[in-house]
Formats: sequence, C-alpha cells, structure tokens
Amino acid sequence: MDSIIALPHTYHRIADVTLDQIMDNLEVIGDETDLAGFDLEYSQGVLTLRLGEHGTYVLNKQPPNKQIWLSSPKSGPKRYDYDIKEHKWFYHRDNHTMDELLNEELKDILGDLDVLAGLATEDLE
Amino acid sequence: MLRNTLTLLNRNTRLIQRPLSLSGTRYYHEKVIDHYEHPRNVGSFAKTETGVGTGLVGAPACGDVMKLQIKVDDDTGKIVDVKFKTFGCGSAIASSSFMTERVRGLTLDEAGQIKNTEIAKELCLPPVKLHCSMLAEDAIKAAIKDYRSKRTPNR
Repeated sequence: MDSIIALPHTYHRIADVTLDQIMDNLEVIGDETDLAGFDLEYSQGVLTLRLGEHGTYVLNKQPPNKQIWLSSPKSGPKRYDYDIKEHKWFYHRDNHTMDELLNEELKDILGDLDVLAGLATEDLE
Repeated sequence: MLRNTLTLLNRNTRLIQRPLSLSGTRYYHEKVIDHYEHPRNVGSFAKTETGVGTGLVGAPACGDVMKLQIKVDDDTGKIVDVKFKTFGCGSAIASSSFMTERVRGLTLDEAGQIKNTEIAKELCLPPVKLHCSMLAEDAIKAAIKDYRSKRTPNR
C-alpha cells in the first residue's frame, strides 16, 4: 500500500474523524452494557477504553508519524497508517485494518459491533 | 550528562503524564525506576570494533530513539557483549536496558525471538507504554540484521 497521507492537516482531520466516530459508537455501547469496570475517556487525542477484567485499550494519535497507535491488552501495541485509496487505517506488517482488529477483539467482550459504524467515506476525503 | 538525562526524563514524563492526569496520578513501576537509576550496559562500542551489529530505531519527533549494539563472537554466533543508549521516557529506557540484559549470551536466533510481550510483562508496563517494549524488540532485530548484513556483504 503506497497511498499514504501527505499533509499534516489532512492527517489530523481524518484521524480526528475516525477517533470521534469510535468514541461515539463506544459511548452508545457503554450506556447499554452492564460490564463491570466499563469506562470510556477521550481527551487530548487519547482514547482510553477500560473493560474491567478484560483490560484497557488505548488509541492515540501519533502526529510525527501520521499514525494512530493502538495498545491492546490482548494483542499488544500496533501502529496504523492511513491508506487514502482504501480509506482505512492499516498495519503495514500484515495489512489488517484497525477496525477489523477492534471489532474482532471487542465482540467477545461487548457483543458484535462495528467501531466505525456511521462513518461515511465522504467524511474521510 | 546525568543532569541532561534527568532534564529530558522530567520533560518527557510531564509531556506523557498530561493526558493521564485526568484520571489520577500515575507512577512508574519500581522495576522501571530501577532500570532508570541503575541502567545496565549503557554506552557504545568503538567504531573500530569488529563483530558489532547496531540497531537504531525510533525518531526524536516521536520522543523515543533507541540505539542497541551487540558484539557477536563469530565462531559461536553468540552475543558476548551488549550496549545501549536510549533517548526517551522511563519505560523506553527500561525496555532497552532490560533487553540488553536479556540477550547477553544468546545466539542471534534466540535473541531475535524475544517478544515485546515479555518485556512488557517483566516491567509491568501500563497500556500506553506497550509501544516502548515494541521499540526494544525492533531495536534488537535491527541490530541482528545489521550484524548479519556486515558478515555477508555479497548478499
């Protein structure tokens, strides 16, 4: 994948839109779940999702690299680059996408979900 | 040099603590502090030394740079000496310091197997610092790759 973002302000806009959408979707789930220890926080570009005994997920922007960084209690740290053609945040080592990983890991804890639900391609242009 | 390192550490600690401060103060685990106050194998090998592989990973703009060097015995293929220099937060310093201890005496294949998860577990790194352990794994792999590329220049 060689289509990476060129401009910083484009990166910030797309990363913010992505994290905002994830936050919104997780908030809805949070309101409905009875998982002990569920907590959600998003400030200064850092999204922290606490899931009680299942551990804590952290998503943050990494502007110098134009990446989003993920820390998963299940699969560890990952760094995602944005592919402007596919409109996806992907991991360059095996090409999986950030939302694929999150949906896969979180569905066992929070039920089937799509962390990017509601995000339209136009929002990511 | 120590004062500079402390200043850097303080600055980096403050920068990193800002997003966490909303949910209360966080502290570095005592194992991390131990590596910071008593880092193992700090330094560099002389440029003239043979059998050395150097891994340089990270970027100053990101806040973390690690240089990890291995000295390998050509006959046994084992790592006989290790040195590191890290610019970054306490967790980054501890991760690379721990890595140097861990790989001493190992073969290159064994050293390349060490995973970031082992470092994170050993140092009890919090979620936001798992990336530091990944960087240490990248550093040893880069050092191994560098050593091997020097040994077989025709490949």
